[in-house]
Amino acid sequence: MTQAIRLEKLAKTYGRRRGLVDLTLDVGHGEVFGYLGPNGAGKSTTIRLLLDLIRPTGGRATVLGLDPRVDSVELHRRTGYLAGDFTVDGRQTVRECLSFLAALRGGIPERRITALADRLGLELAPRIRSLSKGNRQKLGLVQAFVHQPELLILDEPTSGLDPLVQQVFLELVREARADGRTVFMSSHVMSEVQAVADRVAIIREGRLVTVDTVAALRERAVRTVELHFDGTVPAEEFSRLPGVSDVSVEGTRLRCRIAGSPDALVKAAARHTVTGLLCEEPDLEELFFEYYRNGAGHDRVTAA
Amino acid sequence: MTASPLPEALPTTWLPRSVWSQALRDGRRTLIGWSVGTALVGAMYSSFYPQIGGSMGDLTRSLPDGLKQAFNMEDLGSAAGYLGSTPFGVVIPLLALFHGAATGARAIAGDEESGRLDLLLAHPVGRVRLVLQRYAALVTGSGTIALAVLLMMLAIREPADLGTVSPAEFTAQCLGLALLSAFFGALAVCIGCFAGRRGLVFGTTAAVGVVSYALNSFGPQIGLGWTRHLSAFHYYLGGEPLKHGFQWADDGTMAAACLVLVGLGAWAFRRRDIGL
Ligand SMILES: Nc1ncnc2c1ncn2[C@@H]1O[C@H](COP(=O)(O)OP(=O)(O)OP(=O)(O)O)[C@@H](O)[C@H]1O
Ligand SMILES: [Mg+2]
Repeated sequence: MTQAIRLEKLAKTYGRRRGLVDLTLDVGHGEVFGYLGPNGAGKSTTIRLLLDLIRPTGGRATVLGLDPRVDSVELHRRTGYLAGDFTVDGRQTVRECLSFLAALRGGIPERRITALADRLGLELAPRIRSLSKGNRQKLGLVQAFVHQPELLILDEPTSGLDPLVQQVFLELVREARADGRTVFMSSHVMSEVQAVADRVAIIREGRLVTVDTVAALRERAVRTVELHFDGTVPAEEFSRLPGVSDVSVEGTRLRCRIAGSPDALVKAAARHTVTGLLCEEPDLEELFFEYYRNGAGHDRVTAA
Repeated sequence: MTASPLPEALPTTWLPRSVWSQALRDGRRTLIGWSVGTALVGAMYSSFYPQIGGSMGDLTRSLPDGLKQAFNMEDLGSAAGYLGSTPFGVVIPLLALFHGAATGARAIAGDEESGRLDLLLAHPVGRVRLVLQRYAALVTGSGTIALAVLLMMLAIREPADLGTVSPAEFTAQCLGLALLSAFFGALAVCIGCFAGRRGLVFGTTAAVGVVSYALNSFGPQIGLGWTRHLSAFHYYLGGEPLKHGFQWADDGTMAAACLVLVGLGAWAFRRRDIGL
């Protein structure tokens, strides 16, 4: 299977500022791909490189089998794009803007535009200038989705949207996947991506930190474990175990946090009589904080 | 959901289908303003002719030749001479210059700076096509302003005693005017294609315009007669279309310069990053 997006050592420097450093990444056809990173990580840089809005200073990108530099018009015909800071001419009305953009794509049935705008709760009559931030973002979503492109490239698509509209957006992404289309979306937070994404990449300071399926990330994530014993247990016995941190003992109850495999912890606990065991759902957000903070989250977590 | 059985009727208003027509639609109010304003200012200055034309002729006789030449005041007695001094020599062309500079700066650099170009360029519109269509909209605007001035002149021709200038000669002068505005528009678009900063583009274009005006007017006074050939104003006014009708060589030179500038801009725009 050819890849929808293939990045090989893609690099971008802005003068002497770092944008992106040797990024190698594949996104398969029909995949929903989450692209996470803190502010200034290089998410928008990557996305603008994919669309030939900016040119790489090293490496190469292949999108839908095309070189963005050579076949940009063909590529744009087959993609839908929502910019991180979506801006349009405020003098136009919503309807005018959408019909103009549709015309640039050779025309889209009016019905389809109206239906999608309706679904997102976007009015067509007002001037864009008068729209709230969230409603402007809806306009951005409509223009990206309405021609049902093979590839959707969305830069922070949910910013400014209320939770109800966010749900509609997630539905749209699921429908796109059901149709076999590819979605590449960036975000700051895991929670909105983990609901739909097949795989997630995390970048930081222009470098890829990790890329994995949501399920695999969840396995690696930090979780809180509570163990009850029939007597008191020494905390030191547990705090030195690999992957275990924040051990606290209160009477017969021991709480700790564990990253990666719980094997060592279970074996250590088995030396005592365990009367109760409680394990919380992994907190993926926590995992991302680790990555965000020191970029070494990967090493620490997999050391277990 | 309120799925109306009738698909929402196609909008009754005319909606743009291309970058060219959308640019015109977005800028329609501004363009109406420029057209009406330039035509009115032109009419106001031109209509002074019956009152001051004749007497100014006497008044300026005592001025030094150089000064008269610089301000095109060697022949204020005739209608063509008078029109070629202040109205068509200073006021109207400077308005045309600023229209070209302002619209040209907005066409690429302004939209790039505000981030709007990202959306258009992520659509199946090539960069060269975008530059050409935006520029075509600018030229349409320049033509509209020149046409408004022409219609106004034809309307006041009899009442303001300007009958010695034929409609063809007015048309020739207004064609030059359209080309002048289109030239500075092309310059602004070209600079914008290299550097996407609206303020910089407008400032540079306006400065080049004012220097060009000075070269044409004062160059000969200080022994730099040849410099006027570098000035767009020379090709606009030098052949005195109000007296001699169409100056095809001058007009052709201007049109060629526009094409070269826009072509150069489009070439540069294809090669660079957007939004830096
Ligand atoms: N036009 C530019 N000129 C100079 N540096 C730039 C430019 N655009 C981006 N950068 C730099 O490149 C790096 C990555 O920026 P980018 O916009 O890709 O980050 P991001 O991940 O999208 O961040 P955010 O979450 O804030 O949108 C940043 O350090 C930024 O300062
Ligand atoms: Mg960004």
